[in-house]
Formats: sequence, C-alpha cells, structure tokens
Amino acid sequence: MDRSTSPSPRSPWPPAVRGLASAAIVAYLAAVIVPPLAGPPPASDLARAALQPLRPLVGVLSLGHGYRFFAPNPGPGHSIRWSMRLPDASERTGVLPDPEHDRPRLLYHRRFMISEKIAALVPPADAPEEMRREARREWQPLVKDVAGQLLRRHDGSEVTLTLIEHYLPTPEESLRAEQGTDMIVPLGTYGLAGGAPP
Amino acid sequence: MSDRVTLDGTALGVGTPAPVSRAHAAAGQGGGMAAWLGGWTSAWNTFWFTPADPLPLAVIRICTGLLFTWASLVWLLDADAFFGVDGWQRPENVWRMNDQPWQWSWYFVSGSPQVVRFLALAGVGAGLLLTLGIATPLAAVVALLSCISAVNRAPLNVFGLDDTLGMLLVGVAVGPSAARLSIDRLLAPDVQAGRPSVLANVALRLIQIHLCVVYFFSGCGKLLGASWWEGTALWGAAANVQYRTLDLTFLADHPLLTNALTLSTLWWEVAYAALVWPRLTRPLALAMAVPVHLGIGLAMGMMEFGLAMITANMAFLPAAAFRRLSPRSLSSPPRQSAQP
Repeated sequence: MDRSTSPSPRSPWPPAVRGLASAAIVAYLAAVIVPPLAGPPPASDLARAALQPLRPLVGVLSLGHGYRFFAPNPGPGHSIRWSMRLPDASERTGVLPDPEHDRPRLLYHRRFMISEKIAALVPPADAPEEMRREARREWQPLVKDVAGQLLRRHDGSEVTLTLIEHYLPTPEESLRAEQGTDMIVPLGTYGLAGGAPP
Repeated sequence: MSDRVTLDGTALGVGTPAPVSRAHAAAGQGGGMAAWLGGWTSAWNTFWFTPADPLPLAVIRICTGLLFTWASLVWLLDADAFFGVDGWQRPENVWRMNDQPWQWSWYFVSGSPQVVRFLALAGVGAGLLLTLGIATPLAAVVALLSCISAVNRAPLNVFGLDDTLGMLLVGVAVGPSAARLSIDRLLAPDVQAGRPSVLANVALRLIQIHLCVVYFFSGCGKLLGASWWEGTALWGAAANVQYRTLDLTFLADHPLLTNALTLSTLWWEVAYAALVWPRLTRPLALAMAVPVHLGIGLAMGMMEFGLAMITANMAFLPAAAFRRLSPRSLSSPPRQSAQP
C-alpha cells in the first residue's frame, strides 16, 4: 500500500481508539476466517464450535461462505426440465435455466444456481432407498417452491420436474465427438391444491 | 511504538527501505517476551492504523458501485420471483434454511410486489449514488444492506459474485471512499477529506485480508480434488455446457496446456496469501489475477464475478498507480491554502 504521501507513519488515533478498533477488526476477521473452516465438509468439531459464538456476526454480515469455487472438482452441470399442463389441457415444456431466453447472462446464472443447488441435495436415482428418503426431506420443500413459481409464471395447473445431470465428456470423447448419456432424476409432479399453487 | 515494520513489504514501486521497529529489533536481540509482544503490537498498529491514501479505495468504490448497480438491476428484472412471497423460494422455507434470527433480510418485512420492487429499486439507486459518489456514506450502507438482504432472501440464486460484492461493500462503507473521485468531494471540498487517513487504510486492509482468505480456502478446497492434482480440472470447466460461453474444447487436443493452466491456477490460489505481501512477488500475484478472472468471466459467462475479483485485487495496488490514470483535480490530495 502506498503511504508515500504520508509524512509520518505514526497513527493519529489515540491508543484507546486503536484498542476498540482492534477489537472490532479481530471480531470481523474471525467472522471471515472461521466459516470456511467450519464448512462445507470436511470440517472439524473445533471449527464448528468456534463458529457458534460468531453466528450473530456471521449471519448479520452474511459471511457464512465456504469459498470452495469449483472444488473439490469441477463437476457436471445441471438443469431442471419441466413439463406443464395448462388449464386448457394443452402442454408446455421448458428448462431451468433457459439459455435461449434467460438474458442477460447474470439472470441466467442466478436461475442456473437453482438447479445447481438443488442438484447438490439430490442423490442419484440408483442411490440406496434410505439415502434417497433422507435427502428428499431436504430437497422437496425447495423443489415444491420452484414448481409453485413455475406454475404461477406460466399459469399452469400441474408441472412435472426432472433434474438433468449433463454428461461431462472426457477429452478423448470430445475429440471423437461422442455424446454420453445424461443422468435423469425425477423430482415429482406438483399441482394446484384447492386452486392454489403448491 | 511509532516505528514502521515491514509486515506488508511496503508499497509497490516505493523503493525506500522500511525501517525496523526498535521493539522488533529488541525482540530479535533477545529482548524477551515483553519486547517480542511489543514488536507484535507495533507491527499490528503499523499495519492497521497508519494513514493511507484514499485514492485506491475511491477507485474500488466506483468499480464496486458499477457492479452492484448492474447486479441490482438484474435482481430487479425478476424481483417478484427472487424476493416475493411466492418466489422461487417462499420466505418460510428460506427462514428454515438460514441461521435465524441472524440472517435477516429487508425482504422478510413484506413480500408484496410493490414493496419488493421498491426495495430492489433502492439497491439500484444506492449503487448509482455509490458509483457517482453522492451521499456516499449513506449510499454505501444502503448498498451493503441491499446486498445482504438479497443474499439472505434468495440463497438459491446467489454465487461468488455476491460474496465478493459483500466483501467490497464492507470496505467501501467503512472507509472514506468518497474522499476522491466523487461528486461529494466536488460539492464540498474538504481540505482534510482527501488526505491519507487511518480509516482508508483499515478499509483497504479488510479487503486485502478477506481476499487472501477467499483465495486460500478456494485453493485448499481444490487440493481435495484429484482433477486439480492431475491437471485436468480446467477441462471439467471447459466441457461444462451449462457454464460455457467460449468454446475451449480445443483443449482436448492439448493435454499439457490443460495441465499447465490447471496447475498454475491451483498453485496461484493456494500461494496468493503468501505471494501478495512481499514487494518482489506482489506484481506476479496481482498480474496473474487478471487472466484467471477474465478467463473465468469470458469462458464461463461469469464476467461480473471476474470483474469483482479483479476489483478486490486493486486493494493491493499503490495509490500512485491510480493517480497516473485519473484526473489530477479529483485524484490528488487537496492542497491547503497558503496562510496569509
């Protein structure tokens, strides 16, 4: 940092002010450093315990980030395909996110995050039944809300959602122009209950 | 206590060797625990509480303001779905997911379309005022509140851009970011306002440290993945059609290039927090940030995220670097009028 214009490095702040400011800085830095130590997994019990007293500050300033960008490995992309029945019995289909219509790109990305974050909670279709039942409790409320928003957006009466995990080709497959098979996980059918969306 | 230490390697391009504090020197000569602690106290005070030129913070304010305005406009495009009572996620589900009552959001107050749009518009307004430097302290606080509110209300829709904007807005709100390059400064030229200030230093330091934390954990997270060690992770990003905005599949034919790009990204992230402080390696650490983040922005359609990370890296640039690029009247420290 350039302090060439500073005639003296001596701080103009008196010691008491520096002390208070130091306490605030330490608290803020703790709220920055501890959350990524405490999650996502793997994380230690110590880090999780250290996070407890910091929860108010972390929550208020929204500092609870893991910063695991494209980690541990960049994986396949996900989208949610939907098929909707309209009140006139016609059918409408679409995909979330929609690369054709979700413009600007940042809007596409915000909608893309819906499918990515739901996909992180949904186990593969061939996972053990117990695991799928457990996971369903986490993802189904989210999917239900997404279904409700889609129904309202398109004035639909019933919508079926399917999670698509897009096959990530290897370099060799890409050179041979081979297409792999996407993995498909049904997310259920959601409809209007008593005239109101789910 | 007042002597400077070389904790941050001093400024880029400033060739004056930094003096070592007496307390620090005493500790090195076996002055005992008290002297050693005194050295730490001295280093802490110098690092945080030495006045710094607010010009870099002003430039960061403008870049952050532009990015935040754009991000807020995009929120506004579909505000009812992001923040409304019947949105992509209903408030009660978000409330259940968040760590309550701490993860507040002003969108929890009301989900009515009018209120939601007004609040989203307030974010746009705050971003514009922040960019121009009008009522800057208030604009910075409102922008920060707007950013946090959006993140806490729409957790399904946020990503790294929002983390980075939050980090930048804290710095911009804490420091005198309107002291230069602002309408506030033009309208009310305060002789003291543009001078080096401790708060400017604190704000820049907060961004610097936070950025090091981001890269460190991002790099460490990658160390858990085999594809990063094997040097193939970049292929995984290039071949992902959902992210792709630039076709880099030619990399399939160049595995060693993929290895080099992957490994250089990995080790740059892991080492950033160590490389960015010493004077000799700082230019390398900062220069690498530009192709990495522009590359992610161009190839993966996350330009806003890339630009926000580059903006955060600016916290490490010396004021002189910005002074050369900006109008003299706005970027130089104000002169005191001659005494009669």
